Amino acid sequence: MKAIVWKDTKKNIDMLLKKHQVKYAVDFAPSNAKIEKGYISTDGINFQFEVAIGSVSPFKDDADVLKKKTGLISVLTLEELRPVNRHISDFRFNGKKIAKLTGFMEGEIKELDLVPSATIEEKIDPEVRKVLADAKKMSFDMPLSIAVKIAAKRAEIGEKSYKKLIKLVQEDLVRKAIDPYEAVGIIAAQSIGEPGTQMTMRTFHFAGVREMNVTLGLPRLIEIVDARRIPSTPSMTIYLRKDLEKSEEVARRVVKEIENTTVLDVADVITDVNDLTVSIKLDKAKMEERLVEFSDVSFAVEKVRQVNITPDEKTRTIVLKPQQESFKKLYQVQEQVKVLTIKGLTGIKRAIARKESQDGPYVIYTQGSNLRMVMDIEEVDPYRITTNDIIEISNVLGIEAARNAIYNESERTLQEQGLEVDRRHLMLVADMMSFTGSVRAVGRTGISGRKSSVLARAAFEITTKHLLRAGLLGETDSLTGVAENIIVGQPITLGTGSVNLVYRGNRKSD
Amino acid sequence: MTSGISKRINKIQFALLSPDEIRKMSQVKVITADTYDDDGYPIERGLMDLHMGVIEPGLKCATCGGKVDECHGHFGHVELAMPVVHVGFIKEIKTFLDATCKECSRIKLTEDQINSFKAKLSTVDFSSTDPEVIGSITKKVTDEASARAVCPHCGAQQKKVILDKPTTFREEGIKVTPKEIRERLERIPNDDLVFFGLNSSVARPEWMILTALPVPPINVRPSITLETGERSEDDLTHKLVDIIRISQRLRESRDNGSPQLIIEDLWDLLQFHVTTYFDNQTAGIPPARHRSGRALRTLVQRLKGKDGRFRSNLSGKRVNFSARTVISPEPFLSINEVGVPEKAARELTVPVSITIFNVENVRNLIKLGPEPRDEFGKYTAGVNYIIRPDGRRIKVTIQNAEENSKRIEPGWIVERQLMEGDIVLFNRQPSLHRMSMMAHNVRILSGQTFRFNLAVCTPYNADFDGDEMNLHIIQKEEARAEAKIIMRVQEQIMSPRFGGPIIGGIHDHITATFLLTHLNPRFTYEETVHMLSYVDVEKMPEPEIIDGKKYFRGRDIFSVTLPEGLYVKFKSKLCSSAKGQCEYEEDIRDTFVTIENGKLTTGTIDEASVGPFSGEIINKIFRRFGQEAAAKFIDRMTRLAVGFLSMRGFTTGISDYDIPENAVNRIREISESAIQRIEKLIEAYNSNLIQALPGRSLEETLEIEILSETGKVRDESGKIASAYLGLTNSSVIMARSGARAKMLNISEVAGMVGQQSVRGGRINRGYNQRTLSHFKPGDIGANARGFVKSSYKSGLNPLEYFLHSIGGREGLVDIAVRTSRSGYMQRRLINAFEDLKVDEDRRVEDTIGSVIQLKYGEDGIDPTRSERGELVDIDDLIFNLQEAETE
Repeated sequence: MKAIVWKDTKKNIDMLLKKHQVKYAVDFAPSNAKIEKGYISTDGINFQFEVAIGSVSPFKDDADVLKKKTGLISVLTLEELRPVNRHISDFRFNGKKIAKLTGFMEGEIKELDLVPSATIEEKIDPEVRKVLADAKKMSFDMPLSIAVKIAAKRAEIGEKSYKKLIKLVQEDLVRKAIDPYEAVGIIAAQSIGEPGTQMTMRTFHFAGVREMNVTLGLPRLIEIVDARRIPSTPSMTIYLRKDLEKSEEVARRVVKEIENTTVLDVADVITDVNDLTVSIKLDKAKMEERLVEFSDVSFAVEKVRQVNITPDEKTRTIVLKPQQESFKKLYQVQEQVKVLTIKGLTGIKRAIARKESQDGPYVIYTQGSNLRMVMDIEEVDPYRITTNDIIEISNVLGIEAARNAIYNESERTLQEQGLEVDRRHLMLVADMMSFTGSVRAVGRTGISGRKSSVLARAAFEITTKHLLRAGLLGETDSLTGVAENIIVGQPITLGTGSVNLVYRGNRKSD
Repeated sequence: MTSGISKRINKIQFALLSPDEIRKMSQVKVITADTYDDDGYPIERGLMDLHMGVIEPGLKCATCGGKVDECHGHFGHVELAMPVVHVGFIKEIKTFLDATCKECSRIKLTEDQINSFKAKLSTVDFSSTDPEVIGSITKKVTDEASARAVCPHCGAQQKKVILDKPTTFREEGIKVTPKEIRERLERIPNDDLVFFGLNSSVARPEWMILTALPVPPINVRPSITLETGERSEDDLTHKLVDIIRISQRLRESRDNGSPQLIIEDLWDLLQFHVTTYFDNQTAGIPPARHRSGRALRTLVQRLKGKDGRFRSNLSGKRVNFSARTVISPEPFLSINEVGVPEKAARELTVPVSITIFNVENVRNLIKLGPEPRDEFGKYTAGVNYIIRPDGRRIKVTIQNAEENSKRIEPGWIVERQLMEGDIVLFNRQPSLHRMSMMAHNVRILSGQTFRFNLAVCTPYNADFDGDEMNLHIIQKEEARAEAKIIMRVQEQIMSPRFGGPIIGGIHDHITATFLLTHLNPRFTYEETVHMLSYVDVEKMPEPEIIDGKKYFRGRDIFSVTLPEGLYVKFKSKLCSSAKGQCEYEEDIRDTFVTIENGKLTTGTIDEASVGPFSGEIINKIFRRFGQEAAAKFIDRMTRLAVGFLSMRGFTTGISDYDIPENAVNRIREISESAIQRIEKLIEAYNSNLIQALPGRSLEETLEIEILSETGKVRDESGKIASAYLGLTNSSVIMARSGARAKMLNISEVAGMVGQQSVRGGRINRGYNQRTLSHFKPGDIGANARGFVKSSYKSGLNPLEYFLHSIGGREGLVDIAVRTSRSGYMQRRLINAFEDLKVDEDRRVEDTIGSVIQLKYGEDGIDPTRSERGELVDIDDLIFNLQEAETE
């Protein structure tokens, strides 16, 4: 769907808000396509308002028109302004993303193909659903995984046994339920910590490339638990859209698109001290390998300020001469040019497309991570891409995704080491790290530092700071946790300690 | 003990001590810096004044009249001649000075701001809100107030206060004395304190400037008398001496009108001493030192860190009724038992309350004296102490035993020596999981070591190369009951980590069961009886009669350990090679274990059946028949294994790795050809004929090729070697059954050791461009980069030996680094998760009541009880169902 997007002043928006229908004269001629909607931004990035466009007519001087300026071409009739929340990346201009909003623009709205996904129940096999319903009749919410298994066996065991089996499963689950007051946290911590001594500490090459290391084993586990801002080896796994995933060409194109290419990657930078110039000598082979055009480079070079640029496409050289004649400036320009980004996404240092199997789809592995930008690439399947940067996932996709990322990453790390750890322990760690809405580290900066008990905090790390502050704030320690009760010498409040049992013996009856 | 309900502390309130309070709780104003007089008697009003408690036997506390053990000590105080700042609160004092007006001492905010911030802060309860949250709010407020250059209340121009670390404040270069600071802080109205995150009900800002200093009780800083009779004072006492001395000199100088310069110097000195008295590691000042040059251990140091009060004395406490000694194995004990040496058993006691029901028994016990033995000279428990209701302890000796036995009556307590069957806790450090501390039943044994069944080595991660373990005797009935129900070894067979058994047969047990069941060998009646004499069997297995002689099959013999009604079917370790295809084509009856109604019909029993972690039979028995039966199976299985091996004999030695001459030659040939192939690769590389792999440089491509070449040779040599080493070979039996080592290790001994590596690549360090000076620089051939073509058995040549050591060192370093790193990670994990518990609805909650999970693990299932993480074993349930129907 086409729409007009523009940046507007708050004053105009206020006017628009007040009136129901406004004629709006603009210095812009929309194409012939039917345009129904307009989007207004105040900052050029986020769009706060959506407006229905009634009609578009050529500009005639009319008294009833808002916004008067020179060079007016057409008049938009705007109706029904309502607040929305859209990002500039939702729009496409000639199939490309709009980098910057300049005046009025006609854009394609990238509609998220929100195909109403089947409800969970619909996805379930009807046979399985019957099992679930039968269990429900016995007032028992059967876990799906069991229902699937039972459904598969139903014919084999016969109806009579089937009913009994459901009963049996119900009983079994009650028997296997966790005991109330169980210290599940300690069990989880021990279950993850104990095999730590059996893990290796090496990092491993990955995807067959030198620069692509992935941290695995104990260091990676510590990294996950630490909730580091940036993992030591960020990397992404990118899947392409289902219809394109087998095309080598597309895969290669995406790789080139995301791989961050600097001038030094495709050219030699030569500084001439006599002429006080910096010249970029482009290497054809390198350019082809990285799919860089001459124009890409000359466009990128324009970012360098206060220089005279003389591009020469034939010899594939670009000469930059600083306007200010000084060695210092020359040096600055040289350094700036070297690291100038020609194309690609920031953060992604390397990308490689690989086929996992002979006829399998192409999967792109990267060194470096930039989830937000990669998701926006047309050919990429945004539902399947992942990164190992948990904090980035939290920022881009939200805390629920981060929770799953913590779980997946830790499970993968342990599995890779061949260590068997029940998933419930990892879930608890993931939930504990994320339940407040932001990812908290395990340690004094995160969970342990935010405990409610002064004594527990003091006993962990940075003892004096917590004690002194407790005095100023007049904190009270209500002795509910484990550490503080150990300190004062009382039974702890978990397990058998959370139950009070008083035995009143038989009174002697006289 | 009368009510049976123990009291609990409701809460602990933290606050600042005001000078008045310091004086109020003080029992004595300390004015002299001396400790003891020439007779060794504490000087009055000195630092060891008797009002502050006693540490010497014989003396009585002047405050409470208590003796050494009775008086817990009392505070005294010192009046400081001039006020000094408290180091711990420097930052707070700075914000106070910055954010308040120097004239009127109001916070530098307009009334509007005050009202709006107050509204925000009034909703916060200081005593229970997260301090970080309070800190972030107050930071904003104080920052805004500090930025203002003119006081909005009185209009006074503000000067910038600079903190000259650690304790000096300057205003436009001029020093602000603690006295002036105190005066300013005093004037700040109570209402303004909230903006600084100060709880006005428990703290005043001027209390952060000290005028009186509490002197801790003598119990806190006891002096030690050395053997020479010399007295050595505690570090805190030393520091207090300094403070009092300087304070006195300062007071004198001030009173007799000494020059300002001298007073200021003394004042600074006093500040230094008080600062180091609190924290002797304050940044910016040299730590105060003992005469010997050792830095003093003052208040902060006492609390902080691993050896500080919190982590060393409060979070972990020393205990009585415990023992520690070397451990050794004892296959005849049940997994639930622990062998305790007599010597330890005589010292360790269990308190027994005397009631009308047991008074006669206890009397008889006491009569026997402290070291009784039965008529066979065997250990029996005696009584060490009798405790009267008033707490007096009477030591039982041979002389007074008779007499004391008559004195006891209900209400008294006796400390009885350890007895067979007592429940004790047994522990090995590092205690990484809950199975590191389990409850055992006591067996009193002669000797000096603790002993236990080998199956329990795995959870403790113990071996017998000198390991020591700890034993704790439970002192209360309640604890005993819990230990028995929860902590017993048999209760811990299933690991909560992965929902499988963590206790099972190891090493010889696996070898033995393997040999017993593989190919289902035949045993004579005598042999069978020998084996079964180790196990308490109900009846002999069915014999096979050949030529009129009774024979027994190995699998039938093994079956005596299995409970009736057990049905299992699974693949044995022998056939674990993923693809379903057994690596060594053998009779299916050897590889698939089938147990029907407690009878092993086919299959070989090995690690996958009885080992820890994998043991499927243990798993099934535990699930179906419970912990008792599982423990019984492990007991019987391990005993049968020992019985069998003691009959058959089992040994391994260097001759296990003997392979025929031609095999040795073939291995040499392939290693030579590999070296040549590597040479060729290098040649190709040198002449640039090598094709780089995608995304790699030529060097890397070469390295990868070489590595894969060396890997290939090692595998090949292993294959050649193992072709000559069959299941008649002890080492191979151990490797294939999973008892110990892998086939790889065997091929290293018999075949070739192979490429040594550091950081995943060939060895590439040492001299410039070469690993050892025996090689030419730039030589990257096989030998020069750590390819060991010898086998361990044939021995390594010196160069190989060196390069092998390099590779070995990496492993050692890795372990050292890993243990410390993973230890810290686990400490943090435990600390972060220790408070979580499941409530009645299977929700996971922390102590504040935040819900972490709505249902534990999303299904509310205990991982310990799960089938390796899965909810139910449907096949098993169906089987049970059908079984029930057929009955």
